[in-house]
Amino acid sequence: MTAWGAGQHLDRGVVLDFGTARARVSSLGIASFGSALARVYGEFEPIDDDGICEVSVLLRPVTGNWLKKPEIELVSDGARLFDAFAPRLHLPLFEWGVNFLLAQRLLHLLLLHAGSVALDDRAIVMPALPGSGKSTLTAALACRGFRLLSDEFGLVNLNSGMLHPLVRPICLKNESIDVIRRLWPSAVLGPEFAGTRKGTVAHVAPNAQSVSCRYRPAKPVAIVFPRYRRGASLVVERVTRASAFNSLAVNSFNYTFLGPLGFRCVARLVEQCPVYRLSYDRLDEAVACLQEIVADRRPSGLLESPVELLHNA
Amino acid sequence: MSVGVLGQAGQLLFEVLESPARAAPWPDSRWDRAIRYARSSRLLGSLAERFHGDPAWDVLPPRVRALLQGEVYRNAFFERAARHEIACVARALTGIEVPVVLLKGAAYLLQGLPHARGRQIGDVDLMVPRDRLDEVESALLRSGWQFAKTSAYDQHYYRAWSHELPSMRVPGHALELDVHHTILPIKGRLRPDAAQLLAAARPLGAGPWRCLAPADQILHAAAHLFQDSDGWNKLRDLIDLDRLIRHHAASEADLAMRLVERSKLHELVRPLWYATQFLWSWFKTPYTKELSRLLRPGFSARPATALGCRLFTLTLPPPDLDGVTTIRQRMARKSMELRAVWLRMPPWLLSYHAAHKAWRHFVPAVAPMQ
Repeated sequence: MTAWGAGQHLDRGVVLDFGTARARVSSLGIASFGSALARVYGEFEPIDDDGICEVSVLLRPVTGNWLKKPEIELVSDGARLFDAFAPRLHLPLFEWGVNFLLAQRLLHLLLLHAGSVALDDRAIVMPALPGSGKSTLTAALACRGFRLLSDEFGLVNLNSGMLHPLVRPICLKNESIDVIRRLWPSAVLGPEFAGTRKGTVAHVAPNAQSVSCRYRPAKPVAIVFPRYRRGASLVVERVTRASAFNSLAVNSFNYTFLGPLGFRCVARLVEQCPVYRLSYDRLDEAVACLQEIVADRRPSGLLESPVELLHNA
Repeated sequence: MSVGVLGQAGQLLFEVLESPARAAPWPDSRWDRAIRYARSSRLLGSLAERFHGDPAWDVLPPRVRALLQGEVYRNAFFERAARHEIACVARALTGIEVPVVLLKGAAYLLQGLPHARGRQIGDVDLMVPRDRLDEVESALLRSGWQFAKTSAYDQHYYRAWSHELPSMRVPGHALELDVHHTILPIKGRLRPDAAQLLAAARPLGAGPWRCLAPADQILHAAAHLFQDSDGWNKLRDLIDLDRLIRHHAASEADLAMRLVERSKLHELVRPLWYATQFLWSWFKTPYTKELSRLLRPGFSARPATALGCRLFTLTLPPPDLDGVTTIRQRMARKSMELRAVWLRMPPWLLSYHAAHKAWRHFVPAVAPMQ
């Protein structure tokens, strides 16, 4: 445990080091924001320096709004992001704001919209198509010995093809919060925030192992497209490389900007890694399957004939 | 001289762009601020290009180098997108013999001006003769361009009272197209001579492309910043002017005399005068001191221009990174916004337009969509 003291002065600003990027956060007079941060970033040492941060944000009350209810806003480099939020939704605003900014600014790497975890230095990439349940699955893997690289981004080095960590709290929504609480009683969860655009959210604090390994890249050994299907039994299928390429490229934040470099990077990923689709209901079954995949074992029940991923699959 | 000091933020940007060798070994705290101010002023792309070819690149702190490398990739994307857009327009206009003058960033790119890359332009600006506007518009619509704003009022506003068509875009293209027939709003206080701009335009490679004559290009940049904008956080436009003058002075004889002549012809003496004041005071741009003396010498005595200088001093540099503004800055910004509107259209038109906007704000369903 590191030193988030009671005296953490958020008005002066504190720097959080996620590994590949650092964020400076300061806030003015927002009750309980400091304690929420301390909870979900408990394993991070709060840094107090003026060094380089890829993202710098300030949370503060909106001024000049006498007729409306009090609201807070997120400001970065002089410009306000998003609409104003209710003051009690400080941590979700911070987390979404920082994700949004990181997605725009980390352009020297390919940014996949995916959860990524690693066992030692062997990584699995789980692209975040709608209905994938990737955050819940990422959290489940994190409590079964995998280290968290990121629950939102797969950061791929354009030269080496390695995945870079961006260790940040995992955002769980609605029923997933209780599921993970039951599955992982020792996990540190931040406060629950009801009434957000995504329903009720809560954040899982990255554990000591993930945080201490935030500078260690990992080699992608498999791409797994998760698909949550309530009540279904586990089905694991191969995916055609072409449709995998398409889904990965479409689910990237900066594929378009990177042009030929992005193309080559995604092509290398699908050429070097086996690609699976995993349809699941029970988390423990999904985790067991992924444990086999990361160990380079053939997953039990693998259906041999490759399936085409449709755009909305 | 009523131009105030540049201030810390502006000075930091000036220094980091001026000398990569001196800036590369800066401490991390200085770099962090430089990057954030550059991002705020839309100069991060230019910063990346400045360092990319330079030996100082290897001396940069690793996080800075990674950020700038990302911007280099983004610059390349925007350049590809701009060239693609320009090529598509050329194809759409084949068969129509019309001179098309590229303006601003698109022109700088095709002219190969050193400061073109890194500007990450969001749109391609062109100018055609007013009597050919309908023809050009039809050709573009036939080839897939669509208007962004489609209400009947907006279309009428642009065509009757503005100097440009509403923005157009081919769905899926990264950049928008802005088709002008002159360089300042037609009901505005200053009326440059569009026919003269077109007549003096120089051919630019193959196809219909032209670019403004050097003096006209500088005048356009000065008008764009000092006449047709609210001047807020526009250090990048001032730097454009600096680069333009340096580049053209090297290859054009008598640039100063040409600028004085053309500024009188196009009624752009005042914007040019403002440009010379700020360029000399802040960047020591060559020729600007002499140029300001050649323009009406009694200028600096006028209270209006003195106030203008003070307002631009407050608004041009990037604002505080935490959004903390002084009352003076807020008042300056408000005044400049009003000034920009005032300069665009006469009072009767202003009232009409403001009333219509207020009406639409409160009754949004009324305005029919085409």
